[in-house]
Amino acid sequence: MAGKEATVYIVDCGSTMGEKSHGRSQTNLDWALEYVWDKITTTVATGRKMAFAGVVGLRTDGTENLLDNEDDYAHITVFQELGQVLMPQLRKLRQDLVVSGTDGGDAISALVIAIQMIVATCKKLQFQRRIVLVTDGRSAMQADDLGDITSKLKEDSIELVVLGVDFDDAEYGFKEEGKDATKAENEAILRQLCDDCSGVYGTLVQAVDELGVPRVKPTKPVPSYRGMLTLGNPEEYDTALAIDVERYPRTMKANPASASKFVIRSDMAAGEATQSTHTIDGEEAAPNGTNDGLAAVKTARTYQVDDENAPGGKRDVDRDELSKGYEYGRTAVHISESDQNVTLYETSPSFDILGFVNKNQYERYLDMSRSNVIVAQRTNDKASMALSSLIHALYELESYAVARLVMKQNKEPRIVLLAPNIEPDLECLYDLELPFAEDMRSYRFPPLDRVVTVSGKVLTVHRNLPNDDLQDAMSEYVDSMDLSTFGQDDAGQPAEYGAMDETYSIMLHRINQVVKHRAVYPDTDPPPPYEVLTRYSQQPSELANTAHPSLSRLIQAADVKKVPPKARGRRYGRKDAPKPLSELDVGALLAQDSKRSSKQACIDPKNAIPEFKQLLQHAEELPQLRAACAQLKAIIFDWIRHSVGDSGYGRAVEAIRVMREEMAEVSVAAAPYNEFMRELKGTMLDGGLGGERREMWYRVRVNRLGLLLAGECDGGVSEEEGRAFLSAAPVAAAAAAQ
Amino acid sequence: MTSLPYRDKPSDSNHGRGDEDDEEEEEVDATSYKHDKDAVLFAIDVSESMLTKPAETDEKKPDASLSPTVAALKCAYALMQQRIISNPNDMMGILLFGTEKSRFQDGDAETGRGGLQYPHCYLLTDLDVPAAADVKQLRTLVEDEEEAANLLVASKEEVSMANMLFCANQIFTTKAPNFSSRRLFLVTDNDYPHTSSRDARNSAAVRAKDLYDLGVTIELFPISHPDRGYTFDRSKFYNDIVYSATPSDPDAPAPLAADIKPASSTARDGISLLQSLLSSVASRSAPRRALISNLPFEIGPGLKISVKCFILLKRQEPKRTTYVYLPPDSDKAQIAVGSSTLVADDTARSVEKTEVRTAYKFGGETISFTEEEIAKIKNFGDPVLRVIGFKPLSMLPVWANLQPATYCYPSEDEFVGSTRVFSALHQKLLKDQKMGLAWFIARKNARPTLAAIIPGAESRNEEGEQEVPPGLWIKPLPFADDIRQAPETNLVPAPDTLTDAMRVIVQQLQLPKAIYDPRKYPNPSLQWFYRILQALALEEDLPEKAEDKTLPRWKQIHKRAGPYVVEWGSVLDEQYLVWQRDNDKQIKPQVNGAAKRTKAEPASAGAKAKKVKKEDDEDGVTDAEMRDAYTKDALIQFKVVDLKGWLQGKGQKTMGKKKDLMDAVIAFFETKMDVT
Repeated sequence: MAGKEATVYIVDCGSTMGEKSHGRSQTNLDWALEYVWDKITTTVATGRKMAFAGVVGLRTDGTENLLDNEDDYAHITVFQELGQVLMPQLRKLRQDLVVSGTDGGDAISALVIAIQMIVATCKKLQFQRRIVLVTDGRSAMQADDLGDITSKLKEDSIELVVLGVDFDDAEYGFKEEGKDATKAENEAILRQLCDDCSGVYGTLVQAVDELGVPRVKPTKPVPSYRGMLTLGNPEEYDTALAIDVERYPRTMKANPASASKFVIRSDMAAGEATQSTHTIDGEEAAPNGTNDGLAAVKTARTYQVDDENAPGGKRDVDRDELSKGYEYGRTAVHISESDQNVTLYETSPSFDILGFVNKNQYERYLDMSRSNVIVAQRTNDKASMALSSLIHALYELESYAVARLVMKQNKEPRIVLLAPNIEPDLECLYDLELPFAEDMRSYRFPPLDRVVTVSGKVLTVHRNLPNDDLQDAMSEYVDSMDLSTFGQDDAGQPAEYGAMDETYSIMLHRINQVVKHRAVYPDTDPPPPYEVLTRYSQQPSELANTAHPSLSRLIQAADVKKVPPKARGRRYGRKDAPKPLSELDVGALLAQDSKRSSKQACIDPKNAIPEFKQLLQHAEELPQLRAACAQLKAIIFDWIRHSVGDSGYGRAVEAIRVMREEMAEVSVAAAPYNEFMRELKGTMLDGGLGGERREMWYRVRVNRLGLLLAGECDGGVSEEEGRAFLSAAPVAAAAAAQ
Repeated sequence: MTSLPYRDKPSDSNHGRGDEDDEEEEEVDATSYKHDKDAVLFAIDVSESMLTKPAETDEKKPDASLSPTVAALKCAYALMQQRIISNPNDMMGILLFGTEKSRFQDGDAETGRGGLQYPHCYLLTDLDVPAAADVKQLRTLVEDEEEAANLLVASKEEVSMANMLFCANQIFTTKAPNFSSRRLFLVTDNDYPHTSSRDARNSAAVRAKDLYDLGVTIELFPISHPDRGYTFDRSKFYNDIVYSATPSDPDAPAPLAADIKPASSTARDGISLLQSLLSSVASRSAPRRALISNLPFEIGPGLKISVKCFILLKRQEPKRTTYVYLPPDSDKAQIAVGSSTLVADDTARSVEKTEVRTAYKFGGETISFTEEEIAKIKNFGDPVLRVIGFKPLSMLPVWANLQPATYCYPSEDEFVGSTRVFSALHQKLLKDQKMGLAWFIARKNARPTLAAIIPGAESRNEEGEQEVPPGLWIKPLPFADDIRQAPETNLVPAPDTLTDAMRVIVQQLQLPKAIYDPRKYPNPSLQWFYRILQALALEEDLPEKAEDKTLPRWKQIHKRAGPYVVEWGSVLDEQYLVWQRDNDKQIKPQVNGAAKRTKAEPASAGAKAKKVKKEDDEDGVTDAEMRDAYTKDALIQFKVVDLKGWLQGKGQKTMGKKKDLMDAVIAFFETKMDVT
């Protein structure tokens, strides 16, 4: 899809590049390399075989190039011939591109070398050709042959980019004071050269600055539907309308590069594999990337079916023994190979307008999908005119169309909204999928502008409703934070702030940034994110300052208070016991029940959770809590011990959860639960609860029923201890419990 | 073994509670959101009065002549069928009480006299994910009068409500111990059981409290008998049984719908008991769960409130296939439950999650990061919805969408006063038609996005029932990287006369109320899929033809807009000629399908189109050419590109070699287009 390209980078490595100019903390070469590495790694990251890069060192100690027997071409080294750059080449280049001890070497000669490299590789083929020269312009240049170079560049349509360390650039607004004469002269020559061959001439500081602005990868539009947009049924009626249209994506989520999962190879000591990148032996990368001390991680799937005769009630079955089917409730419905299509709803491609709706009544939250653009069949002028009339009619009537779209044969029909768009050079319909009946969940929530009480009264003054003061303050604040004219367009005119085309996919570019960085600097920590990625994480400070008085007023009117963490739980004591609608005192009824009333009441295992909770209603002291937990513990242990397979685990997990929750709410009560938990783990994993119960322990873990933590309850354990408890070896835990 | 290897959560595991909320996820992804698992046990009263059919019946409305018990069973039957499809992991059971017969769980082996434990309680369907057999059994009961007469016999002595409630308790305890939502749907017309025994009523209240403490909510579906002058009175007994707060779901906002009004056993206003039961049950059928609970919503620096996010819109897809096992000795297929483990590729040993390292492919090798590094790289701060500023809603282009928006509603859990601040913002944004622009991190380590916060007004239907709740919607916006450029087009603007002609057509064909009401459009593929699946599971006959409510009403379109379309077509022909002349183009015949296609002249249209093809050889192959070649068996003359282009235009597969493409063309003509 993307075309072929060939870029030669000429990097000035002369001794003057080792200087640190203008108070910068890095050498001029390192600074220049920031740009070069970024460009090269961007190319590497595409993984495109036909994206060639070459690197020529200028003012190198050695000399190695096609014309290296000529004096004019001394101190020029071809470090990398044009070709696809991979990690090994990148590693080599990292060692090659260092400050030399020489000032000899002519930038113009290097250009000639670069041109020759391109000519040799690209011949007359379709390539995008480019030469990038990065230099400080401090060595003498022979400018005699510039005319030939210019014509050669033009003839082969090679784009020339010259970036100079501290070159003057009036446009960007940079001027170096006290420039030496050679440099000034060289700058003039290079600028002229660029002008002559319509190249790009710039100062390095600008180029480096712009690295922080991500590049958006253009994608060639591929139609998802080509065919008729119809109104009415042309098969049945002679009054049907049909327009040839094509449908292309308008938005499509660009996803970050996906990571693969690896583990350190088992035949490696942990230390050996810690280096970040590794050489690939031989030509070929091993399929699973195993040559860098890492082994790929795979997912192994196993299947089980219920089998009464098997131990544990389940039996492993092989993939090959299985066939396809569906679940209907808990019944398996087998569908034989020949019947695979029986559930398929047969459709043929079509795009039918159902009717029209009022634009102003359309609720934006109904948008279900990414959007597409619909244009008339290209090259079909009459269709273009026909579609244009629909677009204009919709626009003038402030209407949208609703249509049923089947993109391809046997694809499921979708309902889409068609919205008109009119720009000087683009008239189209945008489409977005709409929900079906099944896609809507009818959750109900109380109104926000009034409070309806249980007795049916409607209140407009209530603590959950804003008073006039709060409404005014909010209104003023919202208006003061208006972004519609806060930004600036290219011409410096007020424009929308945070427009979509100025925002970049944060994670995508972040991952690209750190991967590229690590490829070049394997031993350095990843850099902080580009500013542009976090720019919209906070309010723009200038605007926030202006709006500050309104915000203060709003905060005052809002009077929002954070709920202290302790107050969140239900407090204990009989007063707060929940009551039925009639406010009947069930507690009193319970108290009459002889089995349940006494404080040493015995929990009925069949009704364990309710009776445990009811017992706690009376329990205020630690010993009582302990006693209640001990009773429940015995019941839980029993359930696990007598569980056939996992039959009792669900109940046990629920009881553990209830105990944990209840204890967390009593401020002093981490101990009874944590003691129970430790004992459970020790006993159970030691086989003390009717044999092998690892599955039960697994459930404890996935349900996060570990020790109560200090953050959850006074007397809880630290987070590390909690984590260690859940994952530690059972034997060790057993030892600890004793 | 040091510890258990990392495993995927098995799909049938019962740990529904809260664990997703603190899970660290790559992205807010609707698929990772598990619907609240719900267990519903119907308890249906089978008394003499519940078995009495209404006095006045209408022959034309068989539904209206059902006895309350049968209506309740039908309602349960409908709900069961529906939930198998919409909530495949949810459980359901049916307990009849007050029956002459008694029956408890099959597996109640300890006693061997299960029925005696709970006399006059008949567990018709044990609480479980329904099986096809359960549906069939229930169908038989509601459709076969004999079967019903056999089982639905009222007991002579009164059933103990306490015992019935404890029976329900045991069913929930054993069958759905870890469900976060457990509900008892109680259908009865008796508002005052145990009339003469206060003790019996008190015991029932105690057992009801047990259910409450167990986390079971009792939903009462009362029935009145206006024909007998009887109105159900909750205050006599049931207010001692029913608790207002939903104990297991502190996340749920205060219930909007008041208690369910007693349904009338006789049809009133044409609404049968069954219909009103169905709608009452529907109003209680969707358990809900927050996608994100207590998300900090920062309206400005120093002003934070908390909100909860819910998914109100989600594309329902047909179920994926699963693996089933066919035992050699039976034709009863079994579901095979898969579980996956991570293993190292080199030695096939199991791998702990903590051992896994992340690496990116780059330049033919991998670039790897430690777990801490990755955590740091991906960390853009804590979960938050932070307002950056406000814009007019009109600045949000219609195409600016990627996925369904997330609904949010205030919560007082973290910040007291959240509701009133949220309300003030909601009202302001609605009034001025503004939106917020926000920095949004949905959960720990989720990808940050920029989102529009758009206000949504409450909408209610004619009956005053809420259809869409009021709130704010978080709509993630596309980044520059997500926006595609429009294709190059050659624009031919329509002259005003043509637009005017089209305008009339648009005005003729407004949808009802000029809005799109999703409730009127069931997904035809999904419906078909489940119809077939149900027929297969219940061994019913396969339906012949699907009902598709999404098809346009062609007849109506023809009747209402037909003449205007013809008019528009002639204006188009006329104006197109004018345009061609003005633009100095040679007069071309009508391009195939560019405009009005009529049944009367397909052949001539094809002929004309063929000429166009020869004039500007850009536009691929026309139908007529292809058909011509097909009839002459000369498809070979076309290039692969042409065949592909033509097939694509027909929505056919375009994979494979030339031979395959030719076959596809032949298949297309053989099956899709009868050569006439």
